[in-house]
Amino acid sequence: MAEEMAMVESGRARRKFVKTQGRKKSSKKAKVRPSPHEQKKVKIDQKMKKLFRKRAREYNSDDEEDEATVTAASETRRLASVTNKRIEEDDIESEDQSGDEGAAGPLKKSNKNATDVNNHSSDDEGEDENEIQPGITKFTEGCRAFKMAFRNVMKKSIPDDMLGPILSAHKKLVIEKLGEEEAERKIKGEAKKEKQTLAEKGHVKPATYLDSHEKFLISVATKGVVKLFNAVNKAQTAQKGLNPSRTKEAKEIRKRTKQAFFSELGKPSLPSIGATTKVNEGTGKVDDQQPAWAPLRDNYMLTSSKLKDWDKMPDKNVSDDMGRTSEDSSSDED
Amino acid sequence: MKQRKNKHGFRKPFVMKKQKQPQEQPTVDPVTGKKIPKSFVFSRGKIPGSLKQLQMDLRKLMLPYTALSLREKKRNNLRDFLNVAGPLGVTHFFILSKTATSPYLRVATTPQGPTLTFKIHDYSLAADIARSQLHPRCPKDLFKNSALIVLSGFVSGELPLRLTTNMFQNIFPTIDVKTVKLSTCQRILLLNYNKETKLIDFRHYSIRLQPIGVSRRLRKLVQSHQVPDLRNLQDISDFVTKAGYGSESEADEEAATVTLSSDIGRVNRASTKSAVKLQEVGPRMTLQLVKIEKGLCSGEVLFSEYGKTGGKEESDDEMQGEEDAEGDKEEDSEDEDQDEELD
Repeated sequence: MAEEMAMVESGRARRKFVKTQGRKKSSKKAKVRPSPHEQKKVKIDQKMKKLFRKRAREYNSDDEEDEATVTAASETRRLASVTNKRIEEDDIESEDQSGDEGAAGPLKKSNKNATDVNNHSSDDEGEDENEIQPGITKFTEGCRAFKMAFRNVMKKSIPDDMLGPILSAHKKLVIEKLGEEEAERKIKGEAKKEKQTLAEKGHVKPATYLDSHEKFLISVATKGVVKLFNAVNKAQTAQKGLNPSRTKEAKEIRKRTKQAFFSELGKPSLPSIGATTKVNEGTGKVDDQQPAWAPLRDNYMLTSSKLKDWDKMPDKNVSDDMGRTSEDSSSDED
Repeated sequence: MKQRKNKHGFRKPFVMKKQKQPQEQPTVDPVTGKKIPKSFVFSRGKIPGSLKQLQMDLRKLMLPYTALSLREKKRNNLRDFLNVAGPLGVTHFFILSKTATSPYLRVATTPQGPTLTFKIHDYSLAADIARSQLHPRCPKDLFKNSALIVLSGFVSGELPLRLTTNMFQNIFPTIDVKTVKLSTCQRILLLNYNKETKLIDFRHYSIRLQPIGVSRRLRKLVQSHQVPDLRNLQDISDFVTKAGYGSESEADEEAATVTLSSDIGRVNRASTKSAVKLQEVGPRMTLQLVKIEKGLCSGEVLFSEYGKTGGKEESDDEMQGEEDAEGDKEEDSEDEDQDEELD
């Protein structure tokens, strides 16, 4: 088909050729070119592939992936059309050459056929190639190619699944990915649950009612409290009627506790006080031999804290001392 | 602050706010003259949220003589706490920890020990217990005074039991029967030892006193100052005389009645009979004594639930978690420290 088309086209092409015959040598070179050209194309293709792969990796969203594939398809289509054109030109040239040199004709033809085959193999959609009208400009061709690709994509029946419209090539990947995610989540959840149970080990939410054991415990505790309160009651009724907030009665209470304290210690409380008073009396007797003036005495300032009465009569002073010391001692013990 | 200084060339005057100094707690009881035990409740190693909550509950239980907002850091080791404990007069440590098998509670006296290690078989938080109750009760001053303690079932003369009894008797300040105000006795800690299962039930109750022989209506009227609903009554005397709902718990109240020597609140007057009612406040724990060590988390093992070991090394596999290995290191260093002090 392509060959025939080329033949049809040849008339116009020949005119072109006549004009540009001077460049025949160079065009001959161009005939050899297809391989480097093909290489170049392949190169671009690889690059694009890389780019698309990269994009595909980057975009996780389905829509964008779709877009990427579509653009890729259109890109390849465009490239294919360009190569097609080139090859057609080559064909024309070869036709001319065959006209000039008949011997080389069949070889050329086979060559051309080979390129055609090449052309077909390099292109994914051969049928589209066939429909391309000759002499259509590059832009529209691209447009058409895009249209075809788009229609192709749209034509695809979308199977039921929840994955949504995904190209079949990606479907497996996506399913795998989703499956992996699911499994991962499951594992994570299990680990979390395990951790939670471990952390909550021993933590018991109590029942809303009191079971027999709790009732028993409460009764035990109640017994304890009752025992204590009764003991407190017993101890405190003894000193009942004495309000500890009143100072006089507080003193009385303190005295009682003091007596209890001494009785506990096994020491009589009163004798100690008596001893101190006795000592004081002794000093009072000694006073007669000692200097009358208080500051000259050995125990001056030790027994009396009052200095304003220093020039008073010694007897009175001694009695005063005695009163104070006894008071002091009693207040100390309080 | 630094930036601002560079920009303007002067520093904004920083006024130290004079914080209201909280009243310093006495180290010695003013009445009995005995040393007031104080406690730290903290955790070693990483513990989950529910255990952190339990720690907070335990702190509240130990109020007022405890560090309620004690902050511990990962790098704090036991010696840090011990160093602080001395100057602050802290006498007891409650150490929560967690291994793969179960949480543990260690109760220790500072600075010398002994240390009791309890395995927490199960526990409920105060919040859980409040949720389980229809009317959770938490008066304002519930935690203002320390709790009473009731130990029951610890009768046999074995060493571990005796040590446990001794330890728990001393974690709260002693009360003087002659001078104690009953209004300060608001809550009670119960430790009940079960001989068969060897488990200790740890419960925390609030104490409530209710006058006996007074109808519920009158009691409510006195307790809450609200005007009662009198619409259905013919006469005001009906309010007093009408029986209302019979209290079904009236029957077993006989045992739980006390005669008060002084007034408690507005309802319970002196020399009237009052019923003692307990309501759980939590936390709730079931403990098993696992180990007793002579020192503070170290030293000779006096008792071990999992096999007797005469030596210093503990043998119970369950305590050999990572965290404990770390703890052992600390303990070793502590030992050295103590030795130095002795020298």
